[in-house]
Amino acid sequence: MYAYILKRLISGAVVLLLVSFSVFALFWYGPSEPARAMCDTKTSNRCTPERLAVFTEELGYDNNIFAEYGRYVGGIFVGRDITISSVTVQCDAPCFGLSYSTGKPVWNDMKKRLPATVSVAVGGAFLYLLIGVPMGVAAARRRGSLADKALVSSFLVISSIPYYLFALLAYLYVAVYWQVPWLGEPGYTPITQNPVAWFGGLALAWLCLGVFGCTQYTRYSRGSMVEALSEDYIRTAKAKGLPTRTVVYKHALRAALVPIVTIFGIDFGTLLAGTIFTEKIFDINGIGLWTLTAIRAMDLPIVSATAIFSASVLILSNLAVDIVYSALDPRVRLS
Amino acid sequence: MSAPVAEETTELDPQKSRPKGNAAQISGKSPLRIAFGRLMRDKVAVVCMVVVVLFVLLAIFEGLLQKAFGVTAETQFPTQFLNLNGVPKAEFGPPYGTFVWSHPFGIAPTTAVDNLAYWLEGARNSLEIATLSTIVATVLGIVVGLLAGFMGGIVDRVLSFFTDFFLTLPFLLVALTIAPIVNERFRDGDHYEAAQVVLLVMVLSFFGWMGLARLIRGEVLSLREREFVHAARVMGMPTRRILVKELLPNIVAPIVVSTSLMLPAFVAAESGLAYLGVGIRTRPSWGQMLDDATGFFKEYPLYLYEPLLAIVVLVLALNLLGDAVRDALDPKTRR
Repeated sequence: MYAYILKRLISGAVVLLLVSFSVFALFWYGPSEPARAMCDTKTSNRCTPERLAVFTEELGYDNNIFAEYGRYVGGIFVGRDITISSVTVQCDAPCFGLSYSTGKPVWNDMKKRLPATVSVAVGGAFLYLLIGVPMGVAAARRRGSLADKALVSSFLVISSIPYYLFALLAYLYVAVYWQVPWLGEPGYTPITQNPVAWFGGLALAWLCLGVFGCTQYTRYSRGSMVEALSEDYIRTAKAKGLPTRTVVYKHALRAALVPIVTIFGIDFGTLLAGTIFTEKIFDINGIGLWTLTAIRAMDLPIVSATAIFSASVLILSNLAVDIVYSALDPRVRLS
Repeated sequence: MSAPVAEETTELDPQKSRPKGNAAQISGKSPLRIAFGRLMRDKVAVVCMVVVVLFVLLAIFEGLLQKAFGVTAETQFPTQFLNLNGVPKAEFGPPYGTFVWSHPFGIAPTTAVDNLAYWLEGARNSLEIATLSTIVATVLGIVVGLLAGFMGGIVDRVLSFFTDFFLTLPFLLVALTIAPIVNERFRDGDHYEAAQVVLLVMVLSFFGWMGLARLIRGEVLSLREREFVHAARVMGMPTRRILVKELLPNIVAPIVVSTSLMLPAFVAAESGLAYLGVGIRTRPSWGQMLDDATGFFKEYPLYLYEPLLAIVVLVLALNLLGDAVRDALDPKTRR
């Protein structure tokens, strides 16, 4: 078990190293002048070739890429000092470099935006389960009925529509057109500042994520419930005279939930890694919206930091899913 | 569905389908022909097919249609068409005026571009990019899947590693990371427009082939142990010929299904990226139209609904068609 986790962690670290190096190399060789964005900000768009050369040297773009990548990775673990225009900024670990537009360490800004993304992800994922699983169970118990068929086919239609259109329409009607009093002011307020505003600002985003995402959970939990309900042990439980409620929720649901956990773990990881559309549409100042603004401003350190962040979240969530899966299903043995 | 059943029984009736001495009446049908026949009997599929064909025709003949309606996507002196708040004046159609023939879809706020012309060009770009990406992704998936499944050993290991590696990368984030670099690099060049399209197709297709490759690898792994492949090998057939002539015809069904589900995903992804501001910017796109329309939704909802309905209808029709194709190709489903 521990050997397996260790092996997975090592292979995850290798993938992360590959991803971070790819991103780094992309920004190194991709743009014709990687230092240009920095130069434009510092000189307020009067960047001369001489100034550009100075910035290229200061940012290390004229050095060997492997040496610079080594310094970058070293900075993530132990921090480093970065000097630009004879101003030295102390960048503590984890140091992802300095933002080209603000000149401050990337991690400081990231820390501020992380709670917003986590709030969106946790609320949305919670609704996935809260709406999706009970609906799936109900549909499985009434399999073949009109309600079941209507649910299955309407969810097929909903899940065929691109998510961002669904969310955009919800936003435009609730917040712009009808201006629903409390729901209609999306945005992020820290929970420590004003819990009511925090909840109201995120509720619409959660609802959209939940309603759209739960279709998949309904489908899966319906499928695995149908399978579980036809098992022999369910018939035995019924024959013993156990109440239907106990049979459905204690015996069948427990077995049916195992595959749901797998999908949920991966979905939750994906949500944490970036709810870009949700954040843009509902104007929530989290990691996703930050990435978008950074891209417009060609702020490369921010973009590479968010890429590395979301890749690590995805890798860790995959690992967590595998471990939890083996704990829930005794038939699975990790090796 | 009573009529098709009757049709089938008459077909199967030996007395009718086999008149005396006339062997030419018996026709061998390939599995694809049978599947096509099933597809044509599916009402939902036929409606979806009509919708898709309509969009394709609109996209192909967009130039002619623009001429027929006398509209262009170029406008000089936009201010003469607009009120002070940027919304078109009443004499040029909605939202303040009524329908006018010179601008059937109205004109856009701020830029005063004719909506119909823009919408038609958006349709062409959307379908063009989605089709190209589907072709590239399909070819990539087939080649990787066939090679990995058939060659086995080290080739399989390497290809499977890359497949898994691409699966762990978050698509949206990679697309967002590449976009600013392309813009920076080609912004001032002569081929900016072409470069954007080629790169978008590359990004979309590089993240769309993994599912197909895995599917084909699995199919080929079981097929290559079958007698007809062994026979071909014993006869001394070169590997390339075995792959193309023996294996490929046997995996047409999964290829067709995954291709028909790729297309809607790419249509949605293209407009989604354009909505975020990182898709194609030099050509019209429905996604850009959505982004522009969001700010004017309260005064001018029609402007938002034109691209939104187009995307929803096209994606929905393509998705349902894909599902119908899957059902038609699977001999086990009975509808």
